[in-house]
Amino acid sequence: MKTGTGCFLAGILCLLSFGAVAGQTADEAKITVLNPRGIQPPIRKIPMAARPATLDGKTVYIVDTKYPRTKEFVDELVKILKEKRPETNWVLKEKFGGYMDDDPKLWAEIKEKAQAAIVLIGH
Amino acid sequence: MRMVYSPHPVTDRPAALCRKYLEGKDPITGRPFLEEIVENLTRPLAEEDRKGGFLKREPRPRLLAPDTARNLEKLFYDSDFTDGMPVVLPTEARVAEMLKATSRKPDELVGSMRPSPPHEAWEYTVEMVAVNAVMAGAKPEYFPTILALASTGVTSLFSSTSSFARMMVVNGPVANEIGMNSGIGALGPLNRANATIGRSWTLISKNLGGSGKVGETYLGTQGNPLSYNNLCFPEAEDGLPAGWNPLHVQKGFKKSESVVSVFSGWSMSDIAWYSEMPIHQVIRGWLEHFFSFNTNAATLILDPIVADDVAQAGFGSKEAYADYLAKNTGTPAWLYWQNRENELKQARAGVEPYATYLKMGPGTVIPVSRYSRESPTPSAFMASKETAESATTIEIVVTGGGTNTFWSGGDFSHVTSTSVDQWR
Repeated sequence: MKTGTGCFLAGILCLLSFGAVAGQTADEAKITVLNPRGIQPPIRKIPMAARPATLDGKTVYIVDTKYPRTKEFVDELVKILKEKRPETNWVLKEKFGGYMDDDPKLWAEIKEKAQAAIVLIGH
Repeated sequence: MRMVYSPHPVTDRPAALCRKYLEGKDPITGRPFLEEIVENLTRPLAEEDRKGGFLKREPRPRLLAPDTARNLEKLFYDSDFTDGMPVVLPTEARVAEMLKATSRKPDELVGSMRPSPPHEAWEYTVEMVAVNAVMAGAKPEYFPTILALASTGVTSLFSSTSSFARMMVVNGPVANEIGMNSGIGALGPLNRANATIGRSWTLISKNLGGSGKVGETYLGTQGNPLSYNNLCFPEAEDGLPAGWNPLHVQKGFKKSESVVSVFSGWSMSDIAWYSEMPIHQVIRGWLEHFFSFNTNAATLILDPIVADDVAQAGFGSKEAYADYLAKNTGTPAWLYWQNRENELKQARAGVEPYATYLKMGPGTVIPVSRYSRESPTPSAFMASKETAESATTIEIVVTGGGTNTFWSGGDFSHVTSTSVDQWR
């Protein structure tokens, strides 16, 4: 007798459960998916260098990172800055290596000898 | 960092045009270029400019919030998780099934990838690669090949204003084991393994390598249709002429190993030429006058019957034929003088052999090969992991069904090769 009641109750539960699923279309059923994105690295922010109030009488380095075949542009930039702002000492420097290589020596030289710098970046 | 932008490109632009750019406006801000430079150098720092610390990154939950399939599909498009085509949603069950195909743990780090060397590198685990493999429609048995590819750290969507393409060649037993197609239509959208392994590289590059965000980490002006599946195919090793080694053996692996090789370039042409001229000479002629973005490297994908013709002409190995091509191709004069300012000065000063080359005129061919390792390769800096130095910059791979004497040629260079077996 006990066994029979158990089967009967289980049967009702199954029907109720089937009814709940049948009432929900596939489009409405919620599913869980994994995040496809990778892990972004922590990026340390470097505070900007203090700016001079004016460029008059100051030394500004122009760093040519030697992006391929842009010499005309670099030379023209230096020329036009010298023409239009002769009161500033514009110094053109080529960075060590290719345009993606670091050059700590040059950065140290700029800190020591210049008050500002323009770094040319190509892509 | 304060930025000022000039109009683009500035490469090889004459001084007068560069001056026009410099006297003009920053195309992004619309402000006068030179004034903006000076202002950026002198404007006092804001409070935010003085701050150190770390950039705030978006949190990365392992699971996205539960939702209906339709809404999640929209979310994936809206979040730029796709390549513009429908993806298979990466449910926990599907990802778990993919993970069964490797002995590696789900949380094991596979590698890192960035859009180009100056960009930040994102990292990714085995599980994250599995998620993208599911999205691409890959079967679990493809997963070790996809993991090997991901472990190279080479993005398929390099950030450059030129529109790079990548190519991947699968060698060794794995190609047959997983049903890749090296026969009829090997380079076309006709086989699930070729198609989805190649596609997974694009999704991995976008989602795990931070690449492909238009205007930020993707700047290729026209884009490249080869990026849809990144020219993914296996070499037809059974179709190689006697004495010709498969690509992975050329790169230092055993024949019994399974290997994925990555190439970088821009374009590939599919060619046949019916004439009495032997096909090895037709290819030589094409290579001599071939012109693309990278003018100093080439990859040839030969159909097995073309490879046989070349072998029967006396070339007992790929290397022998590549050496013949490098030694017997010159450079069209107009192209030769493009990047040789110093040689041009010497030619004008009567220095030989440049003076003779110059006298030959613009319509001739200068007897200097573009495909010798001694030649400069101005585009090599874009390839992140150049390996396996050989005498020439010509690579030869064999694939196809032998139904016609077609071959493909383009400006691709080998970047790296890596073992698939270590990811099983």
